[in-house]
Amino acid sequence: MKHPSEEELILFYYAEAEDGQAIADHLEACEACRAAYQDLKHLLLWVNAPPMPEQGQAEAAAAWNRLRPRLVAQRDFRWSDLLQLWHWPRWATAATLALLLLTAFLAGRYWPRPVPTAPHAPTAVAQREPAHARERVFLNEMGNHLERAQVALIELIHSKTNGVVDISWEQALAKELVNMNWLCRQTCARLGDTGTANVLEDLERALIEISNSPSTLSSAEFGGLCRRIEPNRVLFKVQVVGSQVRARERDGARKLTANRS
Amino acid sequence: MMEDGDAAVVAQVQAGDVQAFRLLVERHQPTVFRLAFRMTGNQQDAEDAVQETFLRAYRQLRRFEPRASFGTWLYRIAANCTLDLLRKRQREAEHRAGPEFAATQAPESLFANAPSPDRLAANAEEQQQVESALEQLTPLERAAFTLRHLEGRSIAEISATLGVGANAAKQGIFRAVRKLRRVLEPMRSPIQ
Repeated sequence: MKHPSEEELILFYYAEAEDGQAIADHLEACEACRAAYQDLKHLLLWVNAPPMPEQGQAEAAAAWNRLRPRLVAQRDFRWSDLLQLWHWPRWATAATLALLLLTAFLAGRYWPRPVPTAPHAPTAVAQREPAHARERVFLNEMGNHLERAQVALIELIHSKTNGVVDISWEQALAKELVNMNWLCRQTCARLGDTGTANVLEDLERALIEISNSPSTLSSAEFGGLCRRIEPNRVLFKVQVVGSQVRARERDGARKLTANRS
Repeated sequence: MMEDGDAAVVAQVQAGDVQAFRLLVERHQPTVFRLAFRMTGNQQDAEDAVQETFLRAYRQLRRFEPRASFGTWLYRIAANCTLDLLRKRQREAEHRAGPEFAATQAPESLFANAPSPDRLAANAEEQQQVESALEQLTPLERAAFTLRHLEGRSIAEISATLGVGANAAKQGIFRAVRKLRRVLEPMRSPIQ
């Protein structure tokens, strides 16, 4: 057996390695790998559960006392009964909410604002703040969207290809992401961020391709899908853009804090 | 978790008996709290997560399938409520003063609740280093790692609990271990 990777050693530690016996035999024979495993084991043994506060009947009763008024209010609130009538699929609900959020963001951004006749410094700062806040909301939503897209692509890349390949999970996620991706791409294009818009266009093509594929594919069909969408290449670009978006989000938070102080 | 009798109590609550829900809270509160505390490292956040978990469970109870295990169903809700709370805390920390602030804040309440002062004194520094390292993880990484490392859940269970694929759960754990190694390795030699 070749030297196990760090990931294989982590799975071995948790007794989840696919070929645990082979790794055990290898560790027996290979001093370097044994040392690496001991090192990992020491690290993980160091990470213990934090000391737990005592939890008994008193704490459970306190939790109930705090909860009860909210449950009663919940029971009396009948709007939730109406919402139960909505039997939309999860992806449709998520896409609608994302659409509403982005619409609100775009409306806020492009709605004509009155021009102040005699601008002065405090007013200008006050007007800049909502714009910063809107931008951060957008960056946060786009960051979350790109993280979820990465999960879909990673799952697709690691799909088992023995015989039939089931991509129904990745497909459901891709369907959820398509609308949000379109909105993000449109927004980036309007803001003149063509680099990010191009990456989102590649991602969108991949998401649509995954969404429109059959949910179970033969190995050959799966290979064809991967050749068409090149998930590794798209994943790399999405990871780069995702980290840039998070950096911009953090930068925005810092600027806002600086403005306030 | 005590599963005996859960089904009967759930049926009572589904029929409109709010008071019966108390029994479910008393039975399952310790498990939900333990999970939330391990994921957040903070008593106040864990208590908030407990409240949110039971509230969400109550709202969704009419959709609960009686043949399923209430404990398993609740555990899944608890993990996701706590994950949502971690995400919210991360956003708040970044909003307050940028990511450096969030990354360097030591948890205040974690060490105030140790069972024994002697043990606390002996382990406090080490525990604090570990908690600081855990603070560096993203919410998903921390959730996946806690479920695997501290709660002993299999990758398949983590995947089902958090609603992510098995590979995403694995990747979360791998990234968590790498980050912990990066942060803890330099501190290890003088201590061990």
